[in-house]
This record gives sequence, structure tokens and C-alpha cells, in this order.
Amino acid sequence: MSGMGQTTVGVLVGAAIGAAVLYGVLGDRPSGGDPTNKEELSAELKVGDVPTHWPAETPIDNGAGPVTSDMLEKASAARDQWLHYSGDYRGFRHSPLEDLNPENAKKLQVEWSFPTGTTGQFEVSPVVHDGVMFMTTSYNRLMALDAKDGTLLWRYDHVQPKNLRLCCGPVNRGVAIAGDKVLMGTLDARLLAFNRKTGEILWDTEVIAYTDGYNLTSAPLIVGDLAITGIAGGEYGTRGFIDAYDVNSGERVWRHYTVPAEGEPGVESWAGDSYKRGGAPAWTTGAYDPETDTLFWTTGNPAPDWDGTVREGDNLYSDSLLALDPKTGTRKWYFQYTPHDVWDYDGNTHIFLVDVDVDGKPVKAVAQANRNGYFYLVDRTSGKFIHANAYVEQVNWATIDENGRPVVDPSKMPAEEPTERVCPSNMGGMNGAWTGAFNPDLGLVYVSSVESCQHYQVGISGFVKGMPYLGGMPIAIDVEAGKAYGHMTAIEAATGEVKWRYLDRNPMMAGALSTAGGVVFTGNQEGYALALDAKSGELLWNFRMGGVVRSQPIAYEIDGESYVAIGSGGWSTLRLLSGGPTNIPDGGHLFVFKVPK
Amino acid sequence: MKKTILVAFTALFLHACDSGGPSSPVAGHMADPEAVKRGRLVFAGTCGAYCHKLAPGQGGVPYLFDCGWKHGGSDQQIYATIRDGVSDTQMVGFGGVLPGGDDDIWKIVAYLRTNSTCEQ
Repeated sequence: MSGMGQTTVGVLVGAAIGAAVLYGVLGDRPSGGDPTNKEELSAELKVGDVPTHWPAETPIDNGAGPVTSDMLEKASAARDQWLHYSGDYRGFRHSPLEDLNPENAKKLQVEWSFPTGTTGQFEVSPVVHDGVMFMTTSYNRLMALDAKDGTLLWRYDHVQPKNLRLCCGPVNRGVAIAGDKVLMGTLDARLLAFNRKTGEILWDTEVIAYTDGYNLTSAPLIVGDLAITGIAGGEYGTRGFIDAYDVNSGERVWRHYTVPAEGEPGVESWAGDSYKRGGAPAWTTGAYDPETDTLFWTTGNPAPDWDGTVREGDNLYSDSLLALDPKTGTRKWYFQYTPHDVWDYDGNTHIFLVDVDVDGKPVKAVAQANRNGYFYLVDRTSGKFIHANAYVEQVNWATIDENGRPVVDPSKMPAEEPTERVCPSNMGGMNGAWTGAFNPDLGLVYVSSVESCQHYQVGISGFVKGMPYLGGMPIAIDVEAGKAYGHMTAIEAATGEVKWRYLDRNPMMAGALSTAGGVVFTGNQEGYALALDAKSGELLWNFRMGGVVRSQPIAYEIDGESYVAIGSGGWSTLRLLSGGPTNIPDGGHLFVFKVPK
Repeated sequence: MKKTILVAFTALFLHACDSGGPSSPVAGHMADPEAVKRGRLVFAGTCGAYCHKLAPGQGGVPYLFDCGWKHGGSDQQIYATIRDGVSDTQMVGFGGVLPGGDDDIWKIVAYLRTNSTCEQ
């Protein structure tokens, strides 16, 4: 801790009490152990002011300078940086490091590791710049670490209110970096900017009232001077939106609602006034095409999730791909993957801006392995559908017609007394909670996925602002029967053809990293970091990190040596729905691996 | 003596709480399969999924089928908890918002009681 100052929550305290009581206090917390409720913790323990912020007393400066727009645009070529959540603007998550190859992958060893101190899914994709790694944890801890040896340089623990509205765990997936600022969204729906060198807070903007059912879980995307972020809250009958904030001031520049208002195009796709509670959250990070100056963002489920009778129509622009003008937020076009979704098939899984040949013609496309079980290719200059193919083994809810519209099997609709086995589950397929990767040399997209089916029960909902608005529930029949399993799948982007699958006995729910050396990194729910051959899917290496792997691996180079970072740490409650081991304790830990000399 | 007074006071207090609310139609609803079904559908659509589970030991939200009532176990107390919510928790009140009016709340109570695993 040397070299760091600290600020604290101002609560007066008294005599110390034992660690056993600490365990009891945390164990009683409904969140399952939110360690960041510092005010409450301090008052209950009476042990002393609990620090929440440890800025660096000496600014960190290793000479790389501020992050420029040019750096952000050329991030895919940078060996010593990982600047975007998705690796680059196109979402490739493809490292240029050639020495991360099949031979060297087998030699990887732990170089350093670091704890998060929090429970809940550890889903981060760290960012690396100037020799510093910026790592977020569940409950919005943000730490700056020396990327070479893990030395803690500064730390900030966001103090959360007690009444967060979290559908799916206390998640944060990472930061964005611009200039000398690091930006993080929070579970209480704020966007914060920090001085990357010191950890000092530069601005703190309320995005929206979290008590209405909103939170920020994804990493922002920087385009020019704008930090662009979507919000989560589709299970709360919110009205989804994508925001752009001035990186320098923190002031909002534009907001793009994902559900139209009265009189706007698309509102006719909602029966009655159901658009007022329409959901369609934008809870994952988008992509950007500098060539056409177009921002691509995706949206999630309409609300309520499983009762479509109260919102007849296509429910625009839920479960959609949106093309936006980054300067204004104006929509250029949209493509809806799952009109009138009643299965919770959020459309916001990872997108890839790929240039491929289709039927002998070059096409600039957006590729996506959607949560509904189909891999889509859409023309990114027009929004025109190209093709869709099933990428999971079990898909029966619909087929896709020549225009990209699902032809739904009526027997697979949610029912009051569900008996139909419907695939995939509401967890996917793939899911926006983890990333995929794309190897442009091989033309292959890599995605981890859930192989599972469910019963979908429709119910009756009352809407209360700030409360879940669901309209039913999934019944995890495969999970209960021990039948849920997982794959890492390699899909040819141009054709949608599955080239290989790596089978795991549990659903695979971690992100992916591709390398120029021909390796794919991911992890599984038994706590292993995995390295697979990018061409064949052969398992090259594994390492038991311990905790369920839910993070997004990254790679970077320092002093000519290559590093791979993978986080370990799950959230056992979610595994009741997704499948996977429930006996592995929660708790996050980052591991950084290196090929020894 | 003090203990006796405390018990008597507590009983009076609880009685006052119970008698302060509306009379309970739960027994009648429990005898009506359609009412219990309605309660089940409202529970599935409003209370289940990400909050109250159908099996014990799942997540941090109270399991409602074991009679382990945290805010009172009489029909009226359960009704009031659903109608008014619980302060400082995510449980807000559902009074006046369910499609079938507040009678849907009584039907939820009837569904919970019908499917409880404890002796009533």
C-alpha cells in the first residue's frame, strides 16, 4: 500500500470485534456479500474508518502519454496495449502477439495474481496502457496495477447504496480509456472519470435514477471526445437508451432511446401504451466503424420478458442491431433479430465488424452469434440480412426465413402449463455477459455457449417502477436434470459454418481471446483457464485458477515478453439457471500468465 | 410478572395488527381451483424468476413456501407485506398495480398457502 493515500467513509467507530463476527455480518447480506457497503460495515464492526479510495501519491508515468484517437483506432496492432473492452473498434479481441502460439501456450506459467476481495461474477476485460492494467471487479472496485508484476498503484471502491436494482448479479465488465482518463459505469447508474495516473476522480455524472431499475455494467466505448455507454434494466420495465458523454466534462451530449415514444416511428409495434415499459436495454459494449463513421450497438429483451400478450407487435427496437451516427445518436438503420421476443433472447451478444466474401462478393458485415441460437451476418452498410445459421446444437424455437425473420414454432411459446422443451435456454447460446473473438487470418469467430433447453412459463405481471417486470419465468429443466453442457465453437464468419467445437461438461460462459500465433484463450466453470488451437480446437493447456471463469481474457506485451490475463470468480446463484457447479465458492482473482524464458 | 405482562401485551399487539386489516378471503380462494391458478400465474409473472424461487436455498430472496414468514404469517400480514412492500429492501408494494386489483394479492396468498410445505 505504500505510495497510496486514502479517503474513507466518515463513520465514527469504537472497539474492535472479532473476525468471526465479520463473517457473520457478510453472510447475512442479501447480496451474498457486498463488501462495498462500507458505511454499514464500518458502523456494524466498530473497528475504524473503512477506506474506499487509495489514490497514488506519485503520479504514474511510464512515458506512453495520453491515449489518443489514433491509438484507439489502431488498437488491434498495438502489442503493448489493450485499449478496448472488445480489443479494437471492430470487436475482434485478436492480439497481434505471434509468440502466443500453440507451442508456447503449453509452457504458460503464472507470473502474478491479484484478488478482487468481492464476490459475484468477475467479468472484467482489463485495459492496459503505459504499463498499467486497469481492472474492475464486481461491485465496482477499480484498481490500477503494474501490468508486469501486479503491484497495486491506486484503488477505488465505489460505495454502493443498499437498494440496488440488480437482475443478474453485481457485475462490472471493465473501463474505457481516453486521454489521461479512465471511465467506469456503476451499478447505481453513474459514470465516473478518473485520472489514470493518480486515481483522482475528475467527474461523476448520474446517468439516471438507479431506483427506477437501471444500472451500468458494461465498459463504455470512446469515439472522439465522446464516451458512449448503454444501460441495463430490461427486467424492470425500463426504457432502454444509449448515451454519449463529453469525456472532458462528463456532460451528456446525446441520448438515443431504444424504445420509441408516442408519435415516433416504431411505436406502432407496441400494443396500447406498452412501449412505456418496453425495456430493450443496451447492456453491452458496441462497436465502431471509422470508415463509415458508424456506431453499432445492440439491444436486449422487451419487457415483460415472457408475457407477450400485453405487448403485441414486433416491439421495436428490442433485440436489435442499431446503426447510429456517433456524433448525434441518430439512427441510420436497424435490424431486429427476434421480433416480439417471449424467451428473453436479448440481442446484445458480442458483435464483430468483419469484411468477408459472400458468394464471391466482398461484404462489409456485422457478425453475431445471437442468444437465440443463430449466427447472423448482416450488411453493415445497409442493415440488410445476409444469412443465419444455427451455431448451438439445440435450436427449436424457430427457423429463420430469407429475410432474417424468425418463423416461430407455435408450440414453443411460453405456456401456463409448460410441457414443451424449448431451445436454447434464456441464458443462450451465447450471452452478452461474455465476449467472443475473431481471427481475421482464419476467418473464424470463437464463442463460448450454453447448451441447454427450458420450459417457459407465462404468468401475469403488475408493473411497479423499480421492480422486476417479468411476466413469467424459465424453468431450468436441463439444469435440474444435469443435462446442461457447453461448447467453445469456431464459426466461419463468411458462411456461418461450424468448423469445430470444444466440448465441456458444463455450460461455457467465459469470454474469448484470439492471438496471431493461432491460440484461443477462454475458461470454464470448473475454474480452468484454457488455451485451444485456433485451427482445430485441440486443448493445448489448462490451469486451475479455482473460481468459475466468467471473465474476458486479454493479452499484452511488456519488455518483449507476452502476458495473458484471465479472471476467475463466479456467482453461484446464476448457476441455478444456467447450470454448472454450485459448490465452488464465489470470489474473484485475476491471474496473469507468461511464457517463461 | 413482567414476563406475563410482556406476553399479554405482545398478544394484544399482534391481535390489533391482525384485526386492523381487511378480513381474509384466502380460505375461500383456496377452495376455488381457478383462484389458486390465478395466484400461481401472478406469482410466476410477478414474484418468481429472478426473485422468489420455487425451491428453497436459491439466492438471497426469501423462500415463501416454508412458512418462515419474516414479516408476519397471518393472511392479513402476508397480504399487507405484498401490498405495501418492505422498506429498505427491493420488495416494494404491489397494491393497486396487479391486473386483477388487490384481490390478486389474496390469490397469491391462497396459492402460497396451498403449496406450502409446512403445517398451516
